[in-house]
Amino acid sequence: MKITVKLIGPLIYEAGFSEKAITLPGSVTAGALVARIKIDKKRPTIITRNGASVELSDILEDGDRVVISHIYSGG
Amino acid sequence: MNGWTGNILRVNLTAKTYKKETFSEEFARTWIGGRGFAVKILYDELQPGIDPLGPENKLIVALGPIAGIPAPNTGKAVVAAKSPLTGFYGDGNLGTRVSEQLRKAGYDAMIVEGKAEGPTMLYIEDDKVEFLPAGEVWGKGTYATNDWIYAKYGKGVGVLNIGQGGENMVRYAVVRSLEGRSGGRPGMGAVMGSKLLKALVVKGTRPIPQADPQAMKALGFGDLKTVGQIDKETGWSIQGTDAILAWCNEVAGLPVRNFRKTRHADAWKIDGERVNAARVATYGCPNCTMRCGITIHDREGRESELDYENVGLLGSNLEIFDLDQVGSLNYLCDEYGIDTMSAGCALSFYADAIDHGATKGDFKFGDAERAKELLGLAARREGKLGNLLADGSLRMAREFGHGSEAYAMQVKGLDVAAYNCKFIPGQALAFGVAAIGAHHREAWIITFELKNTTRDSYGPEKAAKVIELQRIRGGMFEFLVACRFPWIELGWPLDNYPKYFNAATGLNWTLEDMWKVADRIYALIKLHYLREFPQASRKDDYPPAVWFDKSNVDTEGPIAGKCLDLGKYDRLLQHYYDQRGYDERGIPTKELLNKLGLSKEAAAAEKCAKLSERTSQPQAAR
Repeated sequence: MKITVKLIGPLIYEAGFSEKAITLPGSVTAGALVARIKIDKKRPTIITRNGASVELSDILEDGDRVVISHIYSGG
Repeated sequence: MNGWTGNILRVNLTAKTYKKETFSEEFARTWIGGRGFAVKILYDELQPGIDPLGPENKLIVALGPIAGIPAPNTGKAVVAAKSPLTGFYGDGNLGTRVSEQLRKAGYDAMIVEGKAEGPTMLYIEDDKVEFLPAGEVWGKGTYATNDWIYAKYGKGVGVLNIGQGGENMVRYAVVRSLEGRSGGRPGMGAVMGSKLLKALVVKGTRPIPQADPQAMKALGFGDLKTVGQIDKETGWSIQGTDAILAWCNEVAGLPVRNFRKTRHADAWKIDGERVNAARVATYGCPNCTMRCGITIHDREGRESELDYENVGLLGSNLEIFDLDQVGSLNYLCDEYGIDTMSAGCALSFYADAIDHGATKGDFKFGDAERAKELLGLAARREGKLGNLLADGSLRMAREFGHGSEAYAMQVKGLDVAAYNCKFIPGQALAFGVAAIGAHHREAWIITFELKNTTRDSYGPEKAAKVIELQRIRGGMFEFLVACRFPWIELGWPLDNYPKYFNAATGLNWTLEDMWKVADRIYALIKLHYLREFPQASRKDDYPPAVWFDKSNVDTEGPIAGKCLDLGKYDRLLQHYYDQRGYDERGIPTKELLNKLGLSKEAAAAEKCAKLSERTSQPQAAR
């Protein structure tokens, strides 16, 4: 299945990309997707799927748009 | 009195007089400084009903016990007055060397009264105050004024100044400092302009009083390094606040087309990646090691400093997706000395009102060149349209009629910051109950709403989060007078702040002690409001009506078909009042005011409107 991953803020420079489509074999969790991306796993992040927050254990579906962001606080 | 100079400078522009006044230790400990000092002084000294643009209004510049000390992000000052935009207490903070210089001159605050005979610059150096002519720069923008001041006094002095917006009393004119800092969204620059006060320059040569200067020095220099290091490790300031735009676009929280839409396919053209790629230079406030001011070249080739609020409200909300054009609009606001947020909302409201037939005009969303012209008309109050725009979105809506007030994006007259709460109930509440109108600096809970609860919840946990953040952001940071960014953006621990406060004052306060002062300040701002608006009602704490409008929902994306529910919002508001101890109008009860030590202030408020004895019980039934 194909997932689009979008990174926000400093994660872009850490992982080396801003947005890309990733093809995954079968169903995976949000946590498994994050594990494939080169970002500091200790960094607090908020992960959303199609605009709604997800847990690392949530199963992703084909066509999902997953956004991983540094936790912002509104300036 | 360690931690405070114990002095306030009172300047009267009409009489060209000044005096150094002392304040008591009790006053210091009750109100601490910054917003606390400003709220109390203005409550005691202003009669309700005065014209905010008349000589009877007073401009306060207030600092706190850690302001100006070399420690993380302490280079800020609070400016306050009765607001010409909202009609009650208004304030703002800005990065400025005034923070350090006024304290070194021997003052924790200053009060500017009256009105000068002609354009004036105040020059303060320790005990000396000079009233100098400023006609040479009257009519000039803030950058030229700043250069004129630096040429006279060098770059080390503290400066507050205004541009044409302040001079012409644009109701959302700001006070400016350094090359890129603005503060006082609710028209503090207009109050300066009404007094013909073009600029204020401060130089001080004395040490800032501290209980334990050695401990402070050791803490401060170490922590400046630490904060800088965290910033470097996290990469936060690569995009600074500009990163938020892309995120808001993903979660349907971006203001687009006067907040009618929450996302846009072209948003990427003005996002943090593009801002960082176009970076020309980086600026910061004094005592800051996580500098967030990113400048780019605007369409005309000038340096323009962009943060998220600027780009959100002068870019996506106007459907202008050319970064250099957004830079130009931002530059003009800064040069004129007008608030980018309210200016953006005035323009977006105008375009929306034309779209909806409430008025006639030639401005369309996406028209950057016309937007530049309109900013100029507003700043100069040129013609009927310039005057309308200069009065802000709410007054424009009242002039246009045709139900347009529903989409004037403001609360209590202050325009909403760049977060579209069409379906973000907790943040809508945060805007609704922000002390001075819809400001984002007091409580921002969108991540909490998405991550720690559910977006469609209107539960008491959201009201509790708003109060928690009001105490920290709108309270502690505003009365200590320090920037909140090391804590909110980098996670630098909050308990550092009592540590600094204690090293400055010799007291032994905890965060809990800070919250009591914060609650007192919030309650007194509410009394300011009640005195000015005796018919105050809970509806004054509602966000813009368009967010409840089912005909205005998104047709696709994460919140397709959804908007705020008025009945549920009202119950969320009640949770907030219950947790705060406010009555059903959203006004603190006498019981609470007595508990906060505000019985005298309560008695003064009762000359204008009746206060409730206590909240009605039981609340659980609601």
